[in-house]
Amino acid sequence: MRDCWQNSPASTDYTVDELMVTVLADQFRNGDQTTNGMASFIPVAAFMLARLTHAPELVWLASSGGLEPRPDRIPASTLEAPLWRDSIMYIEQYNDFWNFALNGRWIEKFCVGAAQLDQYGNANNSVIGDDYHAPKVRLPGTAGLADMGSIGKKLYYWNPNHSPRSMVEKVDFISAAGYLNGGDARQRLGLQGGPELVVSDLAVMDFHSASKRMRLRSIHPGTTVEQVRKATGFELLMPEGTMPETRPPSKEQVKIIRERIDPDNMRKREFRHRT
Amino acid sequence: MQEKLTTLAEAIARVDNGNVVALQNMATQAAPMGLVRELIRQEKRGLGLVVLVGGLAVDWLAAAGVIDRLIGAAVSMEQFGLCQQYRQAVENGRIRVEEISETILNARLGAGARNLPFLPTRGGIGSDLIALNPDNLKMLSDPFGGFPVLACRALVPDVALIHAHRADRFGNIQYEPTVLWPDIGIMPKAAKRVIVSAEEIVDSEILRRHPDHTILPGFMVDAVVEVPYGAHPTSFPPNYGYDSRFHLDWVAVSRDRGNSAAFIEHYVRQPETQQEYLEIVGGQKTLDRICCWEEDQ
Repeated sequence: MRDCWQNSPASTDYTVDELMVTVLADQFRNGDQTTNGMASFIPVAAFMLARLTHAPELVWLASSGGLEPRPDRIPASTLEAPLWRDSIMYIEQYNDFWNFALNGRWIEKFCVGAAQLDQYGNANNSVIGDDYHAPKVRLPGTAGLADMGSIGKKLYYWNPNHSPRSMVEKVDFISAAGYLNGGDARQRLGLQGGPELVVSDLAVMDFHSASKRMRLRSIHPGTTVEQVRKATGFELLMPEGTMPETRPPSKEQVKIIRERIDPDNMRKREFRHRT
Repeated sequence: MQEKLTTLAEAIARVDNGNVVALQNMATQAAPMGLVRELIRQEKRGLGLVVLVGGLAVDWLAAAGVIDRLIGAAVSMEQFGLCQQYRQAVENGRIRVEEISETILNARLGAGARNLPFLPTRGGIGSDLIALNPDNLKMLSDPFGGFPVLACRALVPDVALIHAHRADRFGNIQYEPTVLWPDIGIMPKAAKRVIVSAEEIVDSEILRRHPDHTILPGFMVDAVVEVPYGAHPTSFPPNYGYDSRFHLDWVAVSRDRGNSAAFIEHYVRQPETQQEYLEIVGGQKTLDRICCWEEDQ
């Protein structure tokens, strides 16, 4: 199983959720450590796929509490006990979890979902609107994102709904620090790490090494640059040369996702706007 | 040892209007719902709520007009969506939110527990949370020469509300080994008063068989109440899962103030005891369903 996926031909019937899962899974290697928060079906599927294929030694702390779990499939919640089934260790979810996470040596990669993301990778999950105390929309709140943005983690954003409403020039509220206003703004505050990649339902983006502005890295098969531009509320930097296309999932990866990891299609819940 | 065993009514009578109340809760996990329902039944007003992540409990307290401010990191019922009554109350200015991150809350409660003016964290630096909350968060230069850190002012809640697996009549509290929910570790140690509901009250001799499971000593606890299935409809591993049907029933009415009020009248104000409540939510059939972690979608 672990070898055949690499030589497996490209899938011809994959869906975009499966593409996002495989792109995210590619970011995780043997020896990395990561964790997940609530409502994180795409990252959880990516961790499980990486562990079943190229990165069996990816360390996964499920729901910030259950180490090395063996769920038989993705359950309806990425926070509840069915996900941390058969863990090798329980970690007290709060104080002890942050003892691991705040220490720069461990859990160096984290996936973030947010309502708004801006051109410097700042994320908003707090409020929509100008007046924080009388917002147009009260969103859930920062939870641990504000921490993950400031403590040296490499952040991988996933956005199942790439649109001018979710990809904005400036977020209404910085719930988690990205590159702030760009350049060396993070370093000046002593902050390590920062946003690495944005994986949306249309494209993959990274950040320019000097300006820290978001840059298109590849477009998904069937998507046009124009479509991505129109769906983005700011000017995306373009890669040099021809526009790369995102590598589609292999047949074997799709099979593993559908049959072993997520037979109940929980990952598709994040794409309800498409149906 | 001092007797701490009491009734729901007497325990919650110790919460005064205007108090800052720290509530154990995650999105759909481990909320002391028996205690929360009693806050609503006693028509408490003007409470400030401290939560790490609030769920249905926060929605009910908002709908019933019990709380007017919230200090916390998030409010969400995860797969069941945003808490709509809470959301409306915030958008209309009836509840004021002091949003802080998880490590900021931990630092504030940790300082409260240790009688320090503040504790620092690196979490939240660069975010807009700091400007939002100048009374309690300030950047502080590192006296040892490193980069500045965020000083988080001590938070001492008036009361902490906790749910646990078992207790004795003297308020010694035990927790089953599980992923320990966050608030149990720090909230009771920071708060002035601690009120605990427990799945069962047992003889102290039973606690002595597993002293490693005891998480709070009786001297720290002011009142303890026996409330079987006291976290329903949230989950309380390993005993029972969350009640997805009940959450979905709430979601179906929660956008509307009148329907929400009727729901709370039926499930919160009418049942006078925990037994009556458990009957109204479906009796043994419901308990069997949540005990096998059945997930409705």
